Amino acid sequence: MSRVAAIAVHTFKECVREKVLYNLVVFALLLTGAGILFGSISVGVNEILLVNLGLSAISVFGLMIAIFIGISLVWKEIERRTIYNVLSKPVARVEFILGKYLGLVLTLVVNTAIMTAGFYLALYWEKRRLGAEDLAPLEAIYFILLQLALVVGVALLFSTVSTPMLSAVFTFSLYVIGNLLSDLRGFGDQSGSALVRILLHGLSVVLPDFGTFSAISQTAHGQLIPGFRLFANSLYALLYTTVLVSAAILVFEEREFR
Amino acid sequence: MLAATELSDSRRLNPRRFALLVLVLAWAGSGVIRSTIDRQADAATQNPIVYVTSGETLRRLSLGYEGLLADIYWTRVVQYFGRERLAGNSTFDFLGPLLRVATTLDPHLLIAYRFGAVFLAEKPPAGAGRPEEALALIRRGIVANPSYWRLWQDLGFIYYWDLKDYPHAALAFQAGSRQPGADLWMKTLAASVAAQGGELETSRLLWTQVYREGGNDSIRRSAAEHLAAIAATMEIEQLERALALFQQRAGRRAAFFDELYRAGLLTRKPVDPTGVPYVLGTDGKAALGPDSKIDLSLAR
Repeated sequence: MSRVAAIAVHTFKECVREKVLYNLVVFALLLTGAGILFGSISVGVNEILLVNLGLSAISVFGLMIAIFIGISLVWKEIERRTIYNVLSKPVARVEFILGKYLGLVLTLVVNTAIMTAGFYLALYWEKRRLGAEDLAPLEAIYFILLQLALVVGVALLFSTVSTPMLSAVFTFSLYVIGNLLSDLRGFGDQSGSALVRILLHGLSVVLPDFGTFSAISQTAHGQLIPGFRLFANSLYALLYTTVLVSAAILVFEEREFR
Repeated sequence: MLAATELSDSRRLNPRRFALLVLVLAWAGSGVIRSTIDRQADAATQNPIVYVTSGETLRRLSLGYEGLLADIYWTRVVQYFGRERLAGNSTFDFLGPLLRVATTLDPHLLIAYRFGAVFLAEKPPAGAGRPEEALALIRRGIVANPSYWRLWQDLGFIYYWDLKDYPHAALAFQAGSRQPGADLWMKTLAASVAAQGGELETSRLLWTQVYREGGNDSIRRSAAEHLAAIAATMEIEQLERALALFQQRAGRRAAFFDELYRAGLLTRKPVDPTGVPYVLGTDGKAALGPDSKIDLSLAR
């Protein structure tokens, strides 16, 4: 367990060294600029817009980090041949994959936490006060983190089998499809063919459902997410992440390094 | 020899300086071209072309960021409405489609229903003059936000003010008054509209609420203009009654308002809500002063 933690911490430090957290500056500028701009050109949506924009930015920046760092997590170690050093030590492959995964998730958690603080600072600036009703966005941010944990899992899996370029394409494609699963089910229901319906429904069950974590708009209106949805999404993310990381471990265990 | 070489080197353009020069020139040039294109653009190209008219399609394409997209579309509505109004165009052809997209992307964006309906329903040139479209928008809002009583208030207002359909207006106010959290005056309004729809007093009650709750300066200013017109119309009616009474008593028309004052029919010199004195026309009827900015057509 300590070896997994060591790899995770190392991965986190590596991300920081690669100046991943620089995106926070862009995030701060975006929030401040957009707040001022939209306040002057729109009507009555300042606060809603700030929440929508802030949470969308947290999600988009997190997504970019998850995909672009995630796809090179394993590949880079193989390309630089540092994998030989690591695996020659008493480190199991499963520990290596778990450490890499947790390291990137830790980076995303820290990144998201800092952005969340920035977001609440901007919200306070806009409202001049913060109340209990302002806790609703935290639920959406939690869902964003769950979604990012899944994306890292997908990117990591592709990273073990493919090049970064292809992994990025596959991960992003899966992310897009995973956001349209409810529509996929809808198309299946509308289809006259039983085979198409079964196929589309089957796909919607098998593929990762990223759309289920979409709650930004809801919380922007101060609506709280029902407890059951919080629980169900947490469980879903945990199970599906287990599937993805297990698959990555299986592939990595079978892989030969020459 | 060495000095000559150095001179030659200094005259030769340094590649870095050359690249910087090209960058600055190209950037400045692109800015000039861009401004020229903007100046040349005619009114048609200024219109916000709605490339995707289906909010559902946009929602799918938004990948979970539909709330942000809805806010952007709502901002486009505000910008489009303001620009067309300033330009004196009163067709507002894109208003309906833009509002539909914004409210489909975010069915809980209440401001888009409320202000959008005002933009749609107001008579030209202030608005699009499409109360039926405004009704449809508000009805969609009620379906998506059934317990939000203010949408019922807006529905009743459009029935009352723009369509002069007082029975339906009363029903809308009544339905709104039954929603959780509805203000008590909704019941009063429902009763008042049912009993005396079209009366100035009822209109004043309605516009007073709009003025009190006006979400922005534009709406509050519009409500103030309507209230001034209603007050002036009521005052002119009072003056007409006083003039008729004077004629009945004196057996002749009054020549000045002072005569009404001396006869005890007025308590003060009559001025309209903006402070401009009323005038007595040669036909013996009271009217707004020539300097008055009040538009009496706003009263009904």
